Amino acid sequence: MANGIIEISFAARGGQTAVTASQLLAQFAFDKGFIDVIAIPIIGAERRGAPIWAFTKISKNKPIKTYDSVVNPDYMLIFDTSLLNIPRIRDSIRESTILLINSDKSIDTTYLPNNIKIYSVDATKICIESNLMLSSGPILNIPMLGAFGKITGFYDLEIMKNIIKEEFGEKRLPKNMKVAEEAFNSVKEVKS
Amino acid sequence: MSKAKEFVQKKETKIIKGNVAAAYAAKSARVQVISAYPITPQTTVVEKLSEFVDGGLMPGTQYIRVESEHSVMASVIGASIAGTRTFTATSGQGLFYMNEMIHWAAGTRLPIVTTIASRGAAPPWNIWADFSDVINARDTGWMSAFCATHQEIYDEILMSYKVCEDHDVLLPKFVAYGGFILSHTSKPVILEDQDLVDQYLPPLPDEKGWPQIFIDPDRPMMHGNLIMPSGFYSEFRMKIQDTLMKSKEKIKVATKEFEKIFGRSYGNGLVEEYHMDDADVGIIIYGDLALQMEQAIDDLREEGYKVGMTKLRHYRPFPTEDIIEVAKKVEVLGVMDRGTAFGSPTGGPVSSDVLASLYNTGITTKILPMMAGIGGREVNVEQQKEEIKTLIKMKETGELPDNLIHGTLWDGILEVK
Repeated sequence: MANGIIEISFAARGGQTAVTASQLLAQFAFDKGFIDVIAIPIIGAERRGAPIWAFTKISKNKPIKTYDSVVNPDYMLIFDTSLLNIPRIRDSIRESTILLINSDKSIDTTYLPNNIKIYSVDATKICIESNLMLSSGPILNIPMLGAFGKITGFYDLEIMKNIIKEEFGEKRLPKNMKVAEEAFNSVKEVKS
Repeated sequence: MSKAKEFVQKKETKIIKGNVAAAYAAKSARVQVISAYPITPQTTVVEKLSEFVDGGLMPGTQYIRVESEHSVMASVIGASIAGTRTFTATSGQGLFYMNEMIHWAAGTRLPIVTTIASRGAAPPWNIWADFSDVINARDTGWMSAFCATHQEIYDEILMSYKVCEDHDVLLPKFVAYGGFILSHTSKPVILEDQDLVDQYLPPLPDEKGWPQIFIDPDRPMMHGNLIMPSGFYSEFRMKIQDTLMKSKEKIKVATKEFEKIFGRSYGNGLVEEYHMDDADVGIIIYGDLALQMEQAIDDLREEGYKVGMTKLRHYRPFPTEDIIEVAKKVEVLGVMDRGTAFGSPTGGPVSSDVLASLYNTGITTKILPMMAGIGGREVNVEQQKEEIKTLIKMKETGELPDNLIHGTLWDGILEVK
């Protein structure tokens, strides 16, 4: 935590909707009463499947004055376990970072810091079962954020509902809330 | 123009990208003609406006799609001469392609407001934050402002219309902000009540257009025709310089009135000081790096250093008088550029202007021209703290750093063989 500001990084692949996730998280936190937030996508020559970064910083009581990348994340959302094989991504994980990983199997912690806190949720399965899909694959942002809300308490399902309705419209609300709730209820801590 | 279907903005806070804040400002200003051609990282400004126009949120606004930036500026020039409030947005290469028409807009004395999501000049191809684009338009007669925050983009656009359309000014203005760093990140932005914006801005021009420049069959006037050297060309040019220099007072007044109505302050409009009054060491800085430098100053003050900064808000007109006052306050003053002026005394556009401003004033403050973040290279707070510590060391030792390149510190530059 830098200067009382909570910093979250998102590691994902192009098409996994992590940039939108970083923006929605900023909105959820702001609605919950955080006084300042910023969502920072790192824009380069992205294409589907390529590793991408995004960051969100949220602050309870003071303005956020920085635009720089998060290098000591308090939380890290990893949308795809294969990203843990990429040294640049693995090296950005600190001992104090709390991980939320989208995974359907046990997490290989060999190369992670000792005693790191890890949560996992099978967001891919949740999306496939509810048919929440894009041509690029499952729309992982809402279930990942549902799980993240559960483990942090930074916002709740009611706030998610209001903003999803505002951003995506009434029609898309039921399916998105279904996956949010499923992830909220099924996220669990992994023993490392 | 019918206002029947219009959605009336009430004051609200939205978490939006810098580009979207620019689009909302154009909407709040009730612009009547928008001309658009896409270019990264500006594109989402005109995309958002096309959504507003298509969705009926800006009834009566004409949205013109053209085939190039040159035509963008040509079309807003036409619309502005006809007496309408106009808006467009561009970036980097797009601004360069507009260049001929940019001169034309200022020479015709038109109050056009154009936002620039600034990006590095190619080649090598670059789309990231660097103010070399707006700096390239320096000598055209346009005013230019830098924004450090998302809110400032929205606010500065409103203030710009106020200044540009003043009948004693009638000049165009660029509102520039760092590409991606502001254009594509999202932050809370207060969108103002439409009634208050209407109260703040001058009324939209009526069918007679601007008082000095118009298209009216009953009052025939020629525009931009050939003037022999013995004609009034010299005087037209002198008047642009005279007006730009006098516009400093207009900017100050517009900033003060903005603060009175909306409660947000931006220094005197030209510069904004931060902890300068008791500082021994200071830095002049602009754009997004200025907000982040505030954090560096906060951190260093906690460590006991008496340091401060001055945010440069306007590049043209250049606030010479304020810069002199700022330089008097400190023993060492850094000037940070994010943009290049090749072959100029320092290589940095603002640092060269700062040095020129201090000539013949008797001020002995040591000035260090600095450069960082060129082509969007990331500058973090820790790096900015080191930059200030370099200035502190200069004060302590009385010596310049030994790694200057033609007198300028290029911070964060890789070694080039």
